[in-house]
Amino acid sequence: MELFFIIGKFPYFYIMEIGASGKVKPTKDRHEAEVSKQTGFPSAATHYMEAPIDLNEELSIHKDATFYVRVRGDAWKTFSILDKDVLIIDRSLLPNFDDLALVVQDGGFKVIRIPFDKTQETFVLWGVITYIIHHVR
Amino acid sequence: MIAMVDCNSFYASCEQVFRPDLWGKPVVVLSNNDGCIIAANKEAKQLAHIPMFEAVYKIKHILIENKVTFFSSNYTLYGEMSQRVMNILETFSPSVEVYSIDEAFLDVKGLSYIDMRMYGFEIKERIYRYTGLPVGVGIAPTKVLAKLANRMAKKIPKHEHVYVMDTDAKRIAALEWADIGDIWGIGRKHVKRLQAIGVFKAIDFVKLPLAWVRKEMTVVGERLWKELRGESCLEFMAVPNPKKAIGTAKSFGQKLPDLGRIEEACAYYITEVAEVLRAQKSCATYIHVAVYTNYHSTIDKQYSNRITVTMPIPTNDTFALIAQARKALHHIYKPGFRYKKVAVNLTGLIPEHYVQGNLFEKRSKISDSNLMHTLDVLNRKFGKTTVSSAMIGTRVEEWELIKKERSPRYTTQWRELMKIGV
Repeated sequence: MELFFIIGKFPYFYIMEIGASGKVKPTKDRHEAEVSKQTGFPSAATHYMEAPIDLNEELSIHKDATFYVRVRGDAWKTFSILDKDVLIIDRSLLPNFDDLALVVQDGGFKVIRIPFDKTQETFVLWGVITYIIHHVR
Repeated sequence: MIAMVDCNSFYASCEQVFRPDLWGKPVVVLSNNDGCIIAANKEAKQLAHIPMFEAVYKIKHILIENKVTFFSSNYTLYGEMSQRVMNILETFSPSVEVYSIDEAFLDVKGLSYIDMRMYGFEIKERIYRYTGLPVGVGIAPTKVLAKLANRMAKKIPKHEHVYVMDTDAKRIAALEWADIGDIWGIGRKHVKRLQAIGVFKAIDFVKLPLAWVRKEMTVVGERLWKELRGESCLEFMAVPNPKKAIGTAKSFGQKLPDLGRIEEACAYYITEVAEVLRAQKSCATYIHVAVYTNYHSTIDKQYSNRITVTMPIPTNDTFALIAQARKALHHIYKPGFRYKKVAVNLTGLIPEHYVQGNLFEKRSKISDSNLMHTLDVLNRKFGKTTVSSAMIGTRVEEWELIKKERSPRYTTQWRELMKIGV
């Protein structure tokens, strides 16, 4: 097993993630659309089967760093974050300018947009918000 | 080299991740049944007059006076956070030995060409960034030394929670720094004996003749002695050994006089341990059941008793185990006492596929593994005891542990997510 190093600015340098690359996902048992049990004729879809959409993958849910947070009230309406929404927060991400983020200020949580000049305000980053789940029914 | 990573005040830290209002403030976590303090963060430990492991009802006023926040233990949360930490550690080394819920050894043998201090810092930074949990990292040639390096990383502020013992001079300095009681694996009894012969520091211990250590402290002491001298002799176990016994003994929320409820509690504990048994693919040969009254009580009549029964065929079938445990319980239960605790313990564990049949038992009594698998899947998905034996009954809240101050299960229950806003 090889390790690759890109030494960047301390403390953010990266080591290739062995665990993430080495894992083989087991396939889930699903009904096979391959062959009709009655007639034995192969399905027209035989050579076109693909894995169905997996939201964890599409939303690149990084399991070990992702937290879900429930919103109460409309204080962050301007960010399209409404009452009862669930925020997906990926703590592995480094904040970029204009990202939505959950931060801690004076012992309380706040949602902000990361300003261009990060020195302006004093806050502790809790995590970068990647998606807002909004239930419409 | 071996790295030892452990989380600082793990239980309290888990609680604080989701409660920024408590950052920098004293937090303690109570044992099952809210009986005593089992964990305290740095701030709480600094309030020296809070005795650890002291009964909570005796010191509750001290906690309140000092504005200490206390939590009932939330093992669901701690377990899930621990899993995150261990997963992250696996991205650093192909060989990780999970030593406890908040500690792990990493084999970094093949990584000798990298800057170990940078590597340690990267571990610390990544775990903190991903999970919010602070950790310390000690790196040294053997496990016992890595544990010591970890201690130095935490205790000596200039190391900033990462210490690498990579030269022999550093090893000697560490042994001169450490008290004999600081050494992993040297218990209180041995500390006293060693101090009596003038051994106060770890360096004094390694200067003792090996023959003396072997004679007085057996092979266990010999291994420690060698490890401290830099000779690795504790095995690295990336794959855990299967447990040899699985048991649980928890106090009831209140004292129970009647057999019915004790039976239910017993069935509940059997359900718990049988799950662990199946997870490690073992079967149990013996069940030990014990009952206790509250020996702290001055007004109750005292009684305790225990019994061991042999399973006709070793099994991990919850229902078969419950049936035998119930019979056993009937043998030792005596009416007229108020019981505080029932303990169950499964022993004689053998691998599932080595189980021998029994000439005198019907085949149908052999465990139905499909049914058990289905139970496990359902309960893992929808929560503990979603589907279980009716023996558990519906009165769980009447005897289950009191968990008044348990925090939400933020990471495993959609209804208990962390809330922000008003």
